[in-house]
Amino acid sequence: MRNLLLEAVLVTASGLVVAFASNALSPRGLKLTRNYSPGTALAMSKAMESSGGTNVLRNANILSALRAEGLQLVDGNEAAKLFADPKRSQDLLIFVDARDDEHYQAGHIPGAYQLDHYHPENYLASVLPACQAAEKIVVYCKGGSCEDSEQTALMLRDSSGVPKDRLFVYAGGFDEWTADHRPVELGQRNSGQLRQVTLPAAAGP
Amino acid sequence: MKHQVNSATTAPVLSKPTLPGHWLEYTGLLTRWFLGGTFVYMGLTKALHPEMFLKLLRQYDLTGNSLLLNSIAAGLPWFEVFCGLLLLAGIAVRGSSLLLLLMLVPFTFVVFKRALAIADLQHIALCAVRFDCGCGTGAVLICRKLLENGLLMLLSCLPLAGVGRPFAIRFSLTASSPIV
Repeated sequence: MRNLLLEAVLVTASGLVVAFASNALSPRGLKLTRNYSPGTALAMSKAMESSGGTNVLRNANILSALRAEGLQLVDGNEAAKLFADPKRSQDLLIFVDARDDEHYQAGHIPGAYQLDHYHPENYLASVLPACQAAEKIVVYCKGGSCEDSEQTALMLRDSSGVPKDRLFVYAGGFDEWTADHRPVELGQRNSGQLRQVTLPAAAGP
Repeated sequence: MKHQVNSATTAPVLSKPTLPGHWLEYTGLLTRWFLGGTFVYMGLTKALHPEMFLKLLRQYDLTGNSLLLNSIAAGLPWFEVFCGLLLLAGIAVRGSSLLLLLMLVPFTFVVFKRALAIADLQHIALCAVRFDCGCGTGAVLICRKLLENGLLMLLSCLPLAGVGRPFAIRFSLTASSPIV
């Protein structure tokens, strides 16, 4: 028994060293001291859970959570109007996609910048000047229980000095955008590869 | 390896494992490889997307301390991979099995607790609850996940009991006598 426990302690100690070294060496590793969920993330997820799946109540709960953080919410129709706004072509109104590379490359709102807040160092050089020049910034992620849009907006506000009155969160996100048959751009930003989604996206986890 | 003394010649000869002993050892070997492979796969799935795992961990509301939560999300998947590799290679097998068991028990408990909360909120049966529990296998029906975890816990007991020595590089790190 004593030997078994000693072996378990040895495996634990060496395993922890290997685990944290692997995380440090991995390009996708997490920074341990960074707070990846500032603001109301937990409050939002709780609000969404407590809504019991009712969209109206859920939106009301999200709205109050975002307002508590000084952020503004836009719905699908408002997002579509903003997308059609001529200011978008002058980059005075920009969309920011808060999802990871894989999802962004698979399809995003045309012309949207990408800013994965888990790895901001990869994106800020191109996104930040655009955010600082824009009058309106619409941040979105997958939609549903996704919190990345809110957290990206908070990161832009708190770490990058973007004024909060310019920041809007499209809570319906990319799932709602595609379900509403809006245009989608594939690959890189301004790749020119557009497709009109004809089927709603499959429900994900 | 046990030795028997041949009384006629007094030379030591190796005892041949009995057929049931063979069967048990090779069953233990397959179990060890299965467990090792499973944990390497599940660990890598999470380790390659630690931010996804962090998001899933947050839903359990385990702690508000971001350093602790980040450490779990960053370290646990690689730790699983490490233990899985040890089992595959046959190094420190009993200690690794014990650790896997110790990880599975609380994890199964928090998954069960969250599934109960979801079933209560959505007014559905427990076995109809389906969510991504952060196990590395995506969204699953939670009853199935609990059964799988129960099976993994049972299987962990076999190498923990010292079975599955064939092809092991160093079954025990500490003991000159393998099972103490």
